[in-house]
Amino acid sequence: MIVPQIVFWVMAVIAVLGGLGVIASRQPVRSVLSLVAVMLALSVIFLLLSAQFVFAVQVIVYAGAVMVLFLFVVALLGPMGEGTSHHLRFHWGLSIVVVAVLGAFMYAQLQGIGFRAPDKLDTTFFGTVEQIGTGLFTTYLYPFELTSILLLVAAVGAIYLSRGGRTASEVRRQEEAHAEEDNVA
Amino acid sequence: MPDYGQIQVGAGTLDARLVLGLAFILFLLGALGVLVRRNPIVILVCIELMLNAANLTLITFAAQLHNLEGQLFALMTMTVAAAEAVVGLAILVDIFRVRDVEDVDELSELKG
Repeated sequence: MIVPQIVFWVMAVIAVLGGLGVIASRQPVRSVLSLVAVMLALSVIFLLLSAQFVFAVQVIVYAGAVMVLFLFVVALLGPMGEGTSHHLRFHWGLSIVVVAVLGAFMYAQLQGIGFRAPDKLDTTFFGTVEQIGTGLFTTYLYPFELTSILLLVAAVGAIYLSRGGRTASEVRRQEEAHAEEDNVA
Repeated sequence: MPDYGQIQVGAGTLDARLVLGLAFILFLLGALGVLVRRNPIVILVCIELMLNAANLTLITFAAQLHNLEGQLFALMTMTVAAAEAVVGLAILVDIFRVRDVEDVDELSELKG
């Protein structure tokens, strides 16, 4: 059966093209939409690797919710260009050198990769919601609860940051109003 | 000795090295994007791309080892990515309220 390979290659090509689109697009909205394409392609590969629940979460939460948040912000901030000021000389050259070195290290690691034997051979019910739920609520209950605290902190932080900070003139006006109140009293 | 790198997919197999290679390419693209792009939103998007590549390696090894821990950790990574995106975008919106930023290098007031 060659079908898994064909599916993988198609999705891999889509993912790499999407990745190129993310870094090559001039408009931020195109970068975001390219990333959605990458995520959907990766979700199919997750499904190939018998991660059904992660596939669903990737499509619904990641490609759905998180990227819609990105699109919201891009739409809110309006069209944006790309800054042209380069405070660092040889910016492109240095970036490519850093990435090439990182890539060389990772490539070297991939060359000698050895796989150990699987833990168990029964893959009939692997990656199902039942198994994920059992794992999250027994062995990994503590980290699972910690992620809920992380989400709470992130939500509170986002609300705090976006509550509408006062500009300098508003602060002055409010201080004057307070001073008048004090005078009346 | 059998080749443990071959992952059973239905009736066929998929080489784990191929999937790791894809994750490798995507991670490098994300890293390059973070370094060369100047727009703060695009930088956040590139960070998401790198997190996705890392997720792919976790899922690959979960499938190769028939071990669920990789998938559970991938879910945790998604939570962290969502939290990071929310806070990062909130900071961006807060900055854009005061002025337009098309270049992260403009935001250097905290530099000593």
